[in-house]
Amino acid sequence: MIADPTTTHADPRLRALGELAVIVTREPWAISRAHHEHWLAAGLTDDDLLHAIMLASYFGHLNRIADAVAVPLDYVVQLPVPSADPRVPALTTAPLVVTGRLAIDPARRPATVAALAAWRTYMFDRDAPLSRRQRTVLARWVSLFLGDGTISSPDDLTANPIDSELRALAEIVTLAPWQLTDATFQPLREHGFDDAAMFDACAVASSAGTFSRITVALTAMARA
Amino acid sequence: MGLPYFGYAESSGALREIYDRMRERPMPPVYRPAHGGAPGIIQAHSLDPALIPKVFGTSTTLNGAGPLTWPERELVNATTSRLNQCLY
Repeated sequence: MIADPTTTHADPRLRALGELAVIVTREPWAISRAHHEHWLAAGLTDDDLLHAIMLASYFGHLNRIADAVAVPLDYVVQLPVPSADPRVPALTTAPLVVTGRLAIDPARRPATVAALAAWRTYMFDRDAPLSRRQRTVLARWVSLFLGDGTISSPDDLTANPIDSELRALAEIVTLAPWQLTDATFQPLREHGFDDAAMFDACAVASSAGTFSRITVALTAMARA
Repeated sequence: MGLPYFGYAESSGALREIYDRMRERPMPPVYRPAHGGAPGIIQAHSLDPALIPKVFGTSTTLNGAGPLTWPERELVNATTSRLNQCLY
């Protein structure tokens, strides 16, 4: 199943968790009320679903940061490690903006909500290395790619050359982090960004993706 | 390739303090790397030491508690990693 996550598992509960991780990672906006009912019928509770959605969204951040710095695997695994393929196409941009009520209240996990709030404040409530405006630019593009209707569209932002490069970075971090290479960072380097600033840009985009993915998945799950 | 990151031996100041603090976190032995330093995924955040407690504080609330069991959490994590073409 790890080699091919789309294969089905015999146990309905595990199969449902695998399905959930796949759709939250690939296309959270495509989740619907029918998925919610299907997963409940497979034996998962709303608390299980909230946990799994937050977990898949969170782990996506770790994947993106690992890719940004190309850190090697440094712990022992029992199974042969499948090879990563940089030729895999990018994930699809959301075809719609998801708005409305959440199917499950995140407050059911108060410790996680508090931790996410502290993380969000750290990412967006400071002025260095990136400016607040640059953080906003990144978050707005990420929310557009994921269909997060709770964050303003980037359409009204005044474009400048650095914003264009930040948009390009937000796109690859959100939709194809496995394609991050030295060349990805070169345009920002040419605009004077040092390693810390480029890491900050990756971290803002990746963090925004975590927050938006949770919101989109929980909102989409309430829709018909 | 990619942006740089710094291991324990190369760390100092705020990063060294964070690494020492992270080392004291309860962690299943299977997650402890043989090199004895901070796990690579923590080192991957080393360009922004202050981000480390934010990210891994969130991890504690998700990977250190239920209702999903440890194997179920690993299933979600591993599936997510595989889809993201990431070996971590």
